[in-house]
Amino acid sequence: MKKLWKKPTLLLASLGLTASMLAACSGGSNEEVGDADEFKGTITIWDGPRWPDEDDNKYHWLESKIAEYEAANEGIKIELVQVPWAEMGDKLGVSIAGQAWPDIAPVDISGSSVSIDHIEQGVVEPLDAYLTKEEKADFYENALDAYSYDGKLYGIPNSITLHTMLLNLDLFEERGVTPPANGKWTYAEFLKTAKDLTFDRDGDGKTDVYGFSTYILPGYYEAWPFFYKNGGSPLNEDLTGFTFDDPKVVQAIQDLADLKLKEDAAPETLGGSDVGGTFQAWANEEQRTVAMQPWATWAIGAAQGKYPTNFMVAEYPTGDAGEAVTIGGVGGWLMFNQGDNANKKAAVADFMKFISSTDEQFTMAQHYGIFPARISSSEMDPFKENPEMTRAMEMSDQVVMLPRHPEWKKIDEAIQTQLQLVFNGEKTAEQAMADAKKAVDELLK
Amino acid sequence: MTQVKLDPVQEVNMNENRLQGTKNAKKSHKKPNTVWRDMKKNYSAYLFLLPKLILFVLFVAFPVVWAIVLSFQKYRFNGSIFIGLDNYIAVFNSEAFSIALKNTLLFTVVTVPFSVISALVISVMIFGLGKISQSFFRSAFYLPSVTSMVIIAMVWRWMYNYDFGLFNYFLSWFGVEPINWLGQSATALWALIIMSCLIPFGTGIIMYLASMGSISQSLYEAARIDGANSLKQFFHITIPLLKPTTLYLVLLSTIGSFQVFTQIIMMTGGGPGSSTETLVHLIYKTGFRDFEYGLASAQAVVLFVIILIFSIIQFRVLRHDE
Amino acid sequence: MKNKPIKSINKIITYILLTVFAIISLLPLYWVFSTSLQLSSYQSQDMERPVSYVNANPPKMYPMGIPLYFEHWSEAREAAKAGDIELETYHRDMMSYIIEDTFSSFVNLFTKQDVGKWFFNSIYIAVIVTFGILLFDSMAGYVLAKKKFPGRNLIFWVIISTMMIPGQVTLVPLFFMVGKLELMNTHWALILPDLAMVFGVFLMRQFMYSIPDELLEAARMDGASEWKTYWTVVLPLAKPGLAALGIFTFMSVWNSFLWPIIVLNNEALYTLPVGLKTLQDANLASFKLLMSGAAITAIPMIIVFILFQRHFVKGLTIGGVKE
Repeated sequence: MKKLWKKPTLLLASLGLTASMLAACSGGSNEEVGDADEFKGTITIWDGPRWPDEDDNKYHWLESKIAEYEAANEGIKIELVQVPWAEMGDKLGVSIAGQAWPDIAPVDISGSSVSIDHIEQGVVEPLDAYLTKEEKADFYENALDAYSYDGKLYGIPNSITLHTMLLNLDLFEERGVTPPANGKWTYAEFLKTAKDLTFDRDGDGKTDVYGFSTYILPGYYEAWPFFYKNGGSPLNEDLTGFTFDDPKVVQAIQDLADLKLKEDAAPETLGGSDVGGTFQAWANEEQRTVAMQPWATWAIGAAQGKYPTNFMVAEYPTGDAGEAVTIGGVGGWLMFNQGDNANKKAAVADFMKFISSTDEQFTMAQHYGIFPARISSSEMDPFKENPEMTRAMEMSDQVVMLPRHPEWKKIDEAIQTQLQLVFNGEKTAEQAMADAKKAVDELLK
Repeated sequence: MTQVKLDPVQEVNMNENRLQGTKNAKKSHKKPNTVWRDMKKNYSAYLFLLPKLILFVLFVAFPVVWAIVLSFQKYRFNGSIFIGLDNYIAVFNSEAFSIALKNTLLFTVVTVPFSVISALVISVMIFGLGKISQSFFRSAFYLPSVTSMVIIAMVWRWMYNYDFGLFNYFLSWFGVEPINWLGQSATALWALIIMSCLIPFGTGIIMYLASMGSISQSLYEAARIDGANSLKQFFHITIPLLKPTTLYLVLLSTIGSFQVFTQIIMMTGGGPGSSTETLVHLIYKTGFRDFEYGLASAQAVVLFVIILIFSIIQFRVLRHDE
Repeated sequence: MKNKPIKSINKIITYILLTVFAIISLLPLYWVFSTSLQLSSYQSQDMERPVSYVNANPPKMYPMGIPLYFEHWSEAREAAKAGDIELETYHRDMMSYIIEDTFSSFVNLFTKQDVGKWFFNSIYIAVIVTFGILLFDSMAGYVLAKKKFPGRNLIFWVIISTMMIPGQVTLVPLFFMVGKLELMNTHWALILPDLAMVFGVFLMRQFMYSIPDELLEAARMDGASEWKTYWTVVLPLAKPGLAALGIFTFMSVWNSFLWPIIVLNNEALYTLPVGLKTLQDANLASFKLLMSGAAITAIPMIIVFILFQRHFVKGLTIGGVKE
């Protein structure tokens, strides 16, 4: 059995290798591409928990890929370091600073853990020499863009995610409210829906179910598409100034905060920092105290699996700009600096390609609630029987990306902590964004 | 909790005289050429010290020196550069630091007196009881101190929960509307302060009880003969005689509360806004989230100096009128 | 004569107050255990939506498993009388539901989460550090207390003075140090810096003072080597001090948090407190699950405390109170 498997993978590996060598030659790059077969040793890869198998092992996918790869490539050992997603950014940043980085990690270069600064300092290896033009052409343009800087590709895109509104249809039915047709609606319609869904079920004078809720926390963007609804963005085009204090944006922020402060259509915890509690309030069948919440696409998987819910996916409501907007991200694998070890570099790249092939991205899309970054994987139609994921995927042309600034993490924190105060009613959106401007402009200097 | 690391102050002081004594004695009859012979003769003593000393140098002494060096550098992973006092200037100019300092000071100024006084009151009450009740209550009040702060923070976060928490339930008995304890700037820091006040100061209670046990009963008898009531006895005998213990406990809990961290990271992450940002959480964030190691080291050195100044003041004040 | 009733009233008030304070101080711990054993929810066929127990308003003050059994008991008896069900079936189904639901989060933690691993990691790290500290610190404390050799005072004072420096100061350099030694993301990164804690040296030195010099002299007269003297004479005499130091070391290692969250990346290497933070950060954990994790972390220390209470008192008072 083992032998049968071994051959094709070996073949594939060497094919990939020759291809990449060709690319290196034709590209005229003066970078030396090593020989993956020459490398013997250990490759360290970090990954977070993904979907569970029967034993609830959330790392089984990568573990089986590793076993397969090790069997096919004698002398290479791959060490998997299991890092919870919530810790991934900080841990990786710490490891970079301590020069104890892994060889591969599943992060992007948007600045949460790896920033443009790191790229300029050579922490991340460019991968252009290992991917042919044809191979690159199989990836969506915006996915490649997310991993490109200064004309070079830093990482292999693996998945695309975005945020959607999740609507609990049982509660819509209970209140006799019609959900938005095709998931499209204006903010006014959304507001009315939220108010209609807020009600006192048992007549004790206390509200039992609220129309809407979400949280505000550095590094999380579920609420942000609401702030974009009238147009605007956090930083200007050339990333030199803070622009979230634009009256359009301020109005949008205030609108959402007023959902709680004025309209009473959101619970006290709207804009709090309790991610888990917020999700539980929507998804846990013992609670279901909030009818609508925005989440990243993983939650669709959760609501179809561990937390079975009768729900639909809707777009973010539109504002003055007239177009629905959502915030998205691109996941993928980065290779970290390997020093002069060209052979190892080649082997690491080979493994990265091995785990982000068309088939693997298809598998991940089916099980993990994300969209493939490869066109060929999408063409295999992973969401054939999943209308909610299909609807979410249709939203991908509404995606706006967050500004890519080396100090984004601090900028983000400065903005989000001010936003928290708006949602607590401690500051008006106008005040808060004026204060955020002061802090952010300081960081942009 | 950090008692283990931080007990020395008083004891060091106690031993000062003893050590001073031996030092002087040695000096008087020691000549340079005999030192080497002494060292050789006592080589086994050095061998006994060696394991601890190696660990100490590697993981304590050297890092302390390194921290000071780092605080004058801008950290870059491919070679740090010296920037003089810039980090310190940045510390004193930063709004984040002054907010964190203010929060930490408020936290300390409320919790330390409350903890120490309540420990004293509880100890006095326990001290008057029979043996069995004494050890029962002593255990009841010390038990929370053996549980990890992580656990305590988790359960308090649960008790402060807006919808299902115990606290809002208790408040509802008195007709008070639910409070978003940890979710709003006005209450978040106070929620943490209340929590620290309500966790009994177990170490304090045990040490007060031990000290009270060593106060001679004849003092009280004499006072009773003079007609002093028990309140008078408490203020004129117990409190003055417990002063060394009080000093020690005040120092201990001050140091502890300046280092408050676990509650913050487990319960509020410093928010909302920066209403619960404290010094150690800020150091952690600066170092291990923003990766500004130089600045983080400077912040830590400043924290150390602040703790030192506080300790000296407390030492002076509480020693003075003895 | 007149004093007597006042005295006993005083006593009663004292008892009442102390009991109230004790309840307040133990309430959080009680709440950990109560929530961890609380039923999550219950729904019978005739109920429109499930009843929530963990997330209940007002909160349920104690685990509701057994009360639930009796709550539906009379209905079941009525139904049994009418011949709709058999009481035995009711008993069997209800009990198995209650038992399963009550302990569900503990089962979940050990089978589906890494708690078993974290528990093992915490135990073995704490044991290694405790024994290492006991050995090295008693050796150091012994010579610092009982031997006169050049440099003794200098060494002692250097060690003691670092006790004043808060741990945060050395956090960053220690982290670099561990990186340079290539110990990042290993348990050595926890064990070695913990073994360097200096409090024990100080405590052992204090304790060793009380060992009479004559005993050491006698051993030497018998021709015992330094090591033998230390091992057969000094250590047995230092037992109470060692017990106290051992307990406090174990406790501080078991509960340590800030350093482990910095140096451990791999979930499989986590200790319990770090693992608990991960559980709390994961979006899908209920409070029942979190409190069960907390209970698992708390129980060993509570057992240690109950077994070794005396030594806790001793340990605290060696360090601080004049005897």
